[in-house]
Amino acid sequence: MPPKRKNDAIVKVEDVGMEVDAVLDSGSEDEARRRAKNRRPQRKAKRVSDDEEDEEDEDEAPRKRGRKKKAKPRDSDEDDEEDSRSVKSKGSKASRRKAAKEESDEESEDDRQKRKKRGRAASKQEKEEHNKEKKGNVKGKEGMKDKGGEKDKKKKNGKMSSSSSSSDSDGESLSEGEIEALKEQVEEKKRTIATLRNQPWRMKRRLVVLKEAQEFVEKFEGALGKGKGRKLYAFKVMMTKKLIKFKRDFDNFKTACIPWERKIKEVESHFGSSVASYFIFLRWMYGLNLVLFGFMFGLVMLPEILMGLPYGSIPRKTVPREEQDTAMDYAVLFDFGGYCKYSFLFYGYYNHERKVGVLQFRLPLSYLLVGVGIFGYSLMVVIRTMARNANEGGDGAEEGEFTFSWKMFTSWDYLIGNPETADNKYASITTSFKESIVDEQENQKDENIHLRRFLRVLANFLITSCLGGSGYLIYFVVKRSQEFAAMNKENLSWFEKNEVEFVMSLLGLVCPPLFETIAELEDYHPRIALKWQLGRIFALFLGNLYTFLFALFDEVTAKLESEKSIKNSTEWALNQYYSNYSSFFNTTDVPPPAVHPADVIRGPCWETAVGIEFVKLIVSDIQVTYLTIMIGDFVRAVTVRFLNYCWCWDLEAGFPSYGEFDISGNVLGLIFNQGMIWMGAFYAPGLVGLNVLRLLSSMYYQCWAVMCCNVPHERVFKASRSNNFYMGLLLLVLFLSLLPVVYTIMTLSPSFDCGPFSGQEKMYDVIMETIEQDLPSFIGNIFVYATNPGLILPAVLLMVLAIYYLNAVSKGYQQANIDLKKKMQMARDEEKNRRNNKDSTNQVMKDLEDLLPNKSLIPPPTEEEPPPPDVVVEKGSKSPKTKPGTAGKGVNLQKDVSLAAPNPRAPVTRAPGPRRGPPGRAGGPQPGPGRGRGRGGPPRQ
Amino acid sequence: MGSRASTLLREEEIEEIKKETGFSHSQITRLYSRFTSLDKGENGTLSREDFQRIPELAINPLGDRIINAFFPEGEDQVNFRGFMRTLAHFRPIEDNEKNKNSASEPLNSRTNKLLFAFRLYDLDRDDKISRDELLQVLRMMVGVNISDEQLGSIADRTIQEADTNGDNSISFNEFIKASFWASVTSCVLIYAAVLFA
Repeated sequence: MPPKRKNDAIVKVEDVGMEVDAVLDSGSEDEARRRAKNRRPQRKAKRVSDDEEDEEDEDEAPRKRGRKKKAKPRDSDEDDEEDSRSVKSKGSKASRRKAAKEESDEESEDDRQKRKKRGRAASKQEKEEHNKEKKGNVKGKEGMKDKGGEKDKKKKNGKMSSSSSSSDSDGESLSEGEIEALKEQVEEKKRTIATLRNQPWRMKRRLVVLKEAQEFVEKFEGALGKGKGRKLYAFKVMMTKKLIKFKRDFDNFKTACIPWERKIKEVESHFGSSVASYFIFLRWMYGLNLVLFGFMFGLVMLPEILMGLPYGSIPRKTVPREEQDTAMDYAVLFDFGGYCKYSFLFYGYYNHERKVGVLQFRLPLSYLLVGVGIFGYSLMVVIRTMARNANEGGDGAEEGEFTFSWKMFTSWDYLIGNPETADNKYASITTSFKESIVDEQENQKDENIHLRRFLRVLANFLITSCLGGSGYLIYFVVKRSQEFAAMNKENLSWFEKNEVEFVMSLLGLVCPPLFETIAELEDYHPRIALKWQLGRIFALFLGNLYTFLFALFDEVTAKLESEKSIKNSTEWALNQYYSNYSSFFNTTDVPPPAVHPADVIRGPCWETAVGIEFVKLIVSDIQVTYLTIMIGDFVRAVTVRFLNYCWCWDLEAGFPSYGEFDISGNVLGLIFNQGMIWMGAFYAPGLVGLNVLRLLSSMYYQCWAVMCCNVPHERVFKASRSNNFYMGLLLLVLFLSLLPVVYTIMTLSPSFDCGPFSGQEKMYDVIMETIEQDLPSFIGNIFVYATNPGLILPAVLLMVLAIYYLNAVSKGYQQANIDLKKKMQMARDEEKNRRNNKDSTNQVMKDLEDLLPNKSLIPPPTEEEPPPPDVVVEKGSKSPKTKPGTAGKGVNLQKDVSLAAPNPRAPVTRAPGPRRGPPGRAGGPQPGPGRGRGRGGPPRQ
Repeated sequence: MGSRASTLLREEEIEEIKKETGFSHSQITRLYSRFTSLDKGENGTLSREDFQRIPELAINPLGDRIINAFFPEGEDQVNFRGFMRTLAHFRPIEDNEKNKNSASEPLNSRTNKLLFAFRLYDLDRDDKISRDELLQVLRMMVGVNISDEQLGSIADRTIQEADTNGDNSISFNEFIKASFWASVTSCVLIYAAVLFA
C-alpha cells in the first residue's frame, strides 16, 4: 500500500495529538500488541459513530472532521509501530522486526519535527481531546489527562472555543490552552523517559533523547503544579516573551546602528545598486581603517606621546636651528615640514629606547609588530570578507522565470507609511525595473557572433596598445627626469621640472574616457563592462604607482648615501671631541658634548622623508578629488541648471548635461588610496588617522554630491552587493604595497639618528634582540630551529599540498552545488506542472481518483511505481516528496525519499490491517474520498 | 478602548462574524474599535475618504485598488460586517485549518487570498489582467520615470512570462501558477497595518 505508507511521515507530524493519545492508551507495553489487535474493530465502529456525531454538530466542527477521519486509522497504525518497536520481540515476524529498525530513523526525524510542531499543535490537541471526551472515551486513565479534559470542557462551555486561532496570543500571557499543551508535552516526555530503555536505538541517541526529555520535564514541571510552581512558570513564560521582544528590538537597534545605512539606501533607490556598491565599499573601507587606526594609535602613538620623552628633549624631537624661523610658516607646514616633520606623525620622532615609561613598554618592538600587523590584519579581513561574500553567492544576477511578474506584483512594501520612504520606494522600484530591462535586453540580444568577436578582439588590441604606449611614455619620462635631476636645477624650465606629474595626470585624464569609448565596441553588459573598465584603469594606475615608487627609491638611495657620509663625519667629530676632551682634562670619564638638541648635526632620515612623500600624495589626492567633485559635478550642475533659462540649446538634455557618477574611477581611487595608506603607514603613523578623516568626510561629501548633482546612468544596472571584484583588486593592491615595505624592512638599514630602530643594523633586529634578552632561552632555540631551511622547505611543501587539496575539495563542492541547484530547479518545475494539472481536475474526477489508491493497495510488492492515477492523487496532496524516484524538493526531501523507498516493511505490516477492511466493506468509498480530500487540503486552498 | 467598543457590539453579532470570518473574539473587538476610530462620520459605515486617512493606504500606489476591494459593486459605504469580511482575507492560514474539508472555503484560504490580490490588478473585473491594466498599475507604481515604450515592454514581458494559453492576458489560473504567494503575504501585512496602526 504505497500511498499510505509514503504519507506516514507527514501524517504523523500532523497528528501529534492523536499519537499521544494512542500511546497513552497502551499503558503497559507488554500487552500492547494484543490490545491493539483487539481494538481495531472497535475503532472502525467508533469511526462510524464519529461521523454521525459530526453530522449532528455540523456547524460547530466542520473542520475537525477531515482530520479526525484520517487520524483514526493512523491511530491504530501508530500503536502497531510503537509496539513493534518498543517490544521488539518474540512473536513478531522477522520482517516486521527488521522494518521496525529501519523505521526508527524516520521516527527520529518525526520526533524532532513533532517537538517543534508542538507549540503550534496546541490548539489542535485540544480539539482532539475534546472530541475524545465527547465520545465518552473511557480509556484515558491518567488523572492528569482527565483533569485536562475537564478543564478543557469547562473552558469550552465558558467562552465558546476561544482556541480557534493561534494568532490571538495577545492578551493573557499564559492561556489555558498553552498550559494544556504543556501538560501533554511533559507527560509525553516522562513516558519517553520511561520507555527509553526499550527503544531499539543506539546508545548515543538514547542519551541525547533522555537528556532532552529530562531537561524539558524539569523546565516545565512547574506549569503542572499549583501555586508557587505555577506562578514561577508564568513568570518564566512572561520573561521568555519579553526576551523575544527584546531580541527583536535589539535586532532593530543593531540594524539602526549600521552607519549610513539609510544614506546608502537612499542613493541605491535613486541610482541603482551599482552606485550603492561603491558606497558600501567605502563604508567597509572606513571600518577597516578605523581598526588600523586603533592599532596604530593605541600601540604606537599614544605610548610615545604619554611615556616617551617630550618635544625638544633630544635632537630627533626638535626642529633644527636653521629651520626654526620658518617652522611655523603655513607653506612649510602645508608641505609637512617644520613642526609637522618633527612630530609624532612621522617615523623620525620615535625614540629607540628599548623600554619606555612605568609599564616598560617596548616601543620599538611594538612599532615593528604594528607595522607588520597592519598588513596581516588587512590581509585577513580582506580574504575573510571575500570568502563570506562568495558564500552569499552569485554575482547578483538572480535567475528565475518570473522576474518581471514578481517585480510587478510584489514589489510594493505594504507597510510603508512614511511619505519620504514611499518616495524612495518609488524610485527603487523604478530603478529595479530599469535594471531588469537592461538585463533582459542583454539576454535577448541576438547578434552576429563573429562580428562581435572581432570587435572585442579589436577593442582589446587597441586598449592593450594604449596601455603599452602609456607605459612606455611613463618609463621614458621617468628616465628623463632622472637625467634632469642630475643636471643643475637652475637650468630647467617649469615643464621639465614637473614633467612626470604632468604626464601622469594627462594620462589619468585622457585614458579612462578613451577606454570607455573603445569599450563601446565590445558591447558588453554594463556589469561586465564595468569590470573590464576597472581592470584596464587598474593597469594604468599601476604605472602611476610604479613611477612614484621609482622616484621614491631614487630618493632613498640618495639619502642613504648622504646619511653615510654624515654618519661618518659625526662619528669622526665625536671621536675628535672625546679625544680632545680626554687629553685636555686628562680623564676617561667624558661627559657627552653639551650641544643644544637643535644644533646637533643630523642625518637626512630617509624614513621620515618617505613618510612625508606619502602624506603629501594623499593630501594632494584628497584635494584633487574634492575639487573635481566640486567643479565637475556641483558647478557643472549649477551652471546647467540655471544657465538653461537663457541659453540657445537645452543644456540639460544636450551637451554638458549633468554628470554621471563615475563608479570605476571612484572605486579605483579608493583602492589606490588604500594602497598608499598601507605603504605609508609604516613611515608615517599619522597617515592612518588622516585617512580615517578623509573617508569619513568623503562619505558625507560624496553622498551629498551624488544626490545633489548627478543623474542616474543611462543604463542602470544591477551590481552584486558582494563587491568581490573590488575586493579582489584591493587584495592585489595590498600585495603590491606589501612588497616595498617588507623589502625596506628586511634589507635597508635604518637611519642612525632617528626613529625607533636607530642604532640597529636592520629593523628586524628588534625582534632578535627581544628574543635573546627577554624571552627564555629555549624559545630562542626554537626560533633557531624554526628558521632552519631544512624545516622551512617541508613546511612550504606542506602548505602547497594543503592548498592543492583544499582547492580540489572546493571544486568538488562547487560541482555538487551546481548539481543540487539543477535538481532544485527540476523539482520546482515538476511541482509547478503538477499544480497545473491538479487545478484542471474537477471534484468528481478527484473523488474517482481517490478511490483508486485503495485498489492499488492490493498488489503490494512493487511500491516503486504506483499506478499513474495514484500519482495524480499524490500530486494533489503532499507535493513531490512522496513520490520516490523524483528529484525531490531539495536535499532533505531527497533523504526522506531514500529512506522510504527501500523500506520493505510497508506491504507486510499493513496489509492485514484495517486498511484492507474498508474497501472490502460496503462503505469502501467513504474513507477513500475522506482521506484523499483531507490530505489534498493545503495546495488547493 | 477595547472594552468600551465591545459593549457597542452585540454578542450575537460577534458570534456571526466569528463564524463567517474566523476571527477570534478579542480580534473582533479590537478591529471594531479600529473601525469606529476610522469612522469619522460616526454613522456606522466607512467611506472611501475614511480609508484614505490610513497613511499606509494613502501612499500606496495600489491603495485605491485596495480600498476598492472593501466596497461591494456600486456602493461607497461599507459597514462593519463588510469590513470584517474583507479583512478576513488577510487572516493568516492556521495549521489546523490546512487540512480542512474544502467544501466551504474560508475567506482566508490561499485561493481566496490570491483572488484578492488578483482583483487588485484586474481593474475591470473581467477575470483577466490585460496589458492595459498592467500598464495602468505600472504607471501608478513608477510614475513618469520610465518611458511609455519601456513600460510597454515591461508589461509585455510580464504577460509573456505568465501567459500560458496565449490570449495575451493573465487569467486567474495563470496568476496562481506564477505563484505570487509573496504578494499575498504582503497583503497579510496590510492586515497587520490596518489592525495595529
